[in-house]
Amino acid sequence: MTVTSAAAGAGTASQGVSLELVGLSRRFGSVVALDGLTFGVPPGQVFGFLGPNGAGKTTTMRAIFGVVALDSGEVRWRGEPVTEQARRRFGYMPEERGLYPGMQILDQLEYLGRLHDMTASSARGAARNWIRRLGLAGREAGKLEALSHGNQQRVQLAAALMHDPELLVLDEPFAGLDPGGVDDMTEILAERARAGVTVLFSSHQLDLVEHICEAVAIINRGRVVAQGAVSALERGDRPRLAVRVAGDPAGSWARPLDPRVASIEGVDGGRVLLALAPGADSQRVLDAARAAGAVEHFSFADRRLSEVFRDVTGEDV
Amino acid sequence: MRSRVNRRWLRLTAVVAEREIRQRGRSRAFAVSTIVLLLVVAAGVAIPAILASHAKPQRVGIVGGPVASTTEIVKEAGRLTGTGVTVVPEASLAQAEAALRSGQLDVVLVDGTEVVVKQVSIAGGSGSGGTLPSAIADVAGLSKLVGQLPAGAAANGVSLPVRGLTAPSASLSRRLTGLFTVVLVWILISAYGSQIAMGVGEEKSNRIVEVILASVRPLQLLVGKVTGIGVLALAQAALMVATFLGVGAAVGSSLVHGAAPGIVIIGAVFLVLGYAFYCTAFAAAGSLVSRQSDVGTVILPVQIPLILAYALSYTVIYSNGASTFYKVLGFLPPTAPVAMPVLYAAGDVPAWQAAISAVLVAVGTVWMARTAATIYGRSILQTGSRVRLRQVLARGGSRLGTRACLLVACGVRHRGE
Repeated sequence: MTVTSAAAGAGTASQGVSLELVGLSRRFGSVVALDGLTFGVPPGQVFGFLGPNGAGKTTTMRAIFGVVALDSGEVRWRGEPVTEQARRRFGYMPEERGLYPGMQILDQLEYLGRLHDMTASSARGAARNWIRRLGLAGREAGKLEALSHGNQQRVQLAAALMHDPELLVLDEPFAGLDPGGVDDMTEILAERARAGVTVLFSSHQLDLVEHICEAVAIINRGRVVAQGAVSALERGDRPRLAVRVAGDPAGSWARPLDPRVASIEGVDGGRVLLALAPGADSQRVLDAARAAGAVEHFSFADRRLSEVFRDVTGEDV
Repeated sequence: MRSRVNRRWLRLTAVVAEREIRQRGRSRAFAVSTIVLLLVVAAGVAIPAILASHAKPQRVGIVGGPVASTTEIVKEAGRLTGTGVTVVPEASLAQAEAALRSGQLDVVLVDGTEVVVKQVSIAGGSGSGGTLPSAIADVAGLSKLVGQLPAGAAANGVSLPVRGLTAPSASLSRRLTGLFTVVLVWILISAYGSQIAMGVGEEKSNRIVEVILASVRPLQLLVGKVTGIGVLALAQAALMVATFLGVGAAVGSSLVHGAAPGIVIIGAVFLVLGYAFYCTAFAAAGSLVSRQSDVGTVILPVQIPLILAYALSYTVIYSNGASTFYKVLGFLPPTAPVAMPVLYAAGDVPAWQAAISAVLVAVGTVWMARTAATIYGRSILQTGSRVRLRQVLARGGSRLGTRACLLVACGVRHRGE
């Protein structure tokens, strides 16, 4: 089952989308990494990019930066095919953290800023600023390798933010962070999004994604299998009901229900989970329940994002 | 518009080069290696010169002529050159020459009219002063001209011909200067070449290339890196040459007398060309690895031509006349940077042949840079197992296929896993 019906039409520069990935395809030998992958990311919000391991997330992100050549497809930025110049206004935090272990932190950030067209002095200023902001004040002259894993990750984030990018792409930014680090990272991403930056990040921590993102794209085997607002995905295309009738722990009252009205998805301690048929009236289910006994619980039941993920990818997170 | 784009291209490349210079230039390894190399150079120049001043007495054979006056001539020449002399009267020229060949005698004065040595050096032929045979030739020549005048009256005068038993060749000091040049070229290219490969391997293995290549092209990173490291290599070379000349002048080393400007110029040209030829090859080799610890294995094939030319250079330094094989090496771009300065210093090739070789190396450098840039660009982002050269080149079609064959011929192919 896929929820791609919610996807914007491929290739059309839909309003309010700044980054568009159109039909990205790439094979590595016999392995298909990307298979016509298409989705758009709007500016001003934090957008989650999900998928099982090997789904093609990292390849997609590398393709945005031209670090992986595409067999076909196009990356578009603000309605135009992305150029080298536009890419200098992007910030990237790769999955495998990459900085010079033996180089001083301040020098390192200054260097990366200058590679993004900053002058030496403004790069130095921005580096000091982010070092302070990320709680690393006093470590400027220290070497990267002397920092803890979490602090190295903060430096990596600073490297991506140095030149005040218009698009921020982060591959697993939360991996390996302690709760304090997660809070800092969340706050910075949200703040960047409020400032109008397009923020795309991948993660396996779906609870976190549920909490931070307004919208997500879920991919599997190089294609998008679900995308849209988190709330819409959790509601799903078929509303679901949770109903409990007193004295019926097996939920046997629901068995005679007409499948054209609702079908049973599961029973858990007397709580029957029902998928409502398209166009069906939920009140007919309530009537049937009431006829069987006292209704203790009756509600629409949203799925968790992790359930959506499992449904569309067929895999656990 | 185009020039603006190019300026930016150069500016970002310069940022990369600047980082290499600053990071490496202030590292302890650079300071220590510079000091050690300078000490080695200084010692290499000073110690032989100091030992030479305590040289053992030279044995001078005399054949024919009035023994008293020829002995006087030899002793006066010894005094002039500061060399202790032992006069050995010989019965005949044949015996004297035999003693000369066997090393029992260093010089023979024949009839007070001819000076014979085992081998005439080019620099110290005659009249140039400094060496005992030429001083004997000077003094004896003067004596012959003015009869029994006290030999101490000798000033600049007529010299006797100095005859060598074997063909004349470049002086030892000239050869040693050549050796110095070759050691310099070899050490700098290998040391900085492996630094390039290590640096590329580091960037690739810790994935910083992904961050950097999101804003600059692979070629910019490659050019910036080899330029920055090249500046350091040249700075170190300049310091070593300055030390060589400075210390040499201070202790009056004969090595410096032999450092004809030609050898220094040719050495410098081939150092620059050699670095240019090899720097990109080392970078390409470094880009094949996925772990930095593999760098040593992949650069070995790149170093083989250098090692070959270097090892064989001793046969040229200490023999009379280079082999045809070594002369061929002097014209092949991978080996010429080491081989040609030796050949020139030893007097085995004239300057114009060195110039032809330099042009060949320059052409080879362009070819190598293009091939290496292709390899580097394709493999720097390929992660996982070590990239196979054939795989990288196969993607480029037939033109690269030919290049690959040539690369294999150049010994750049890395060994299988």
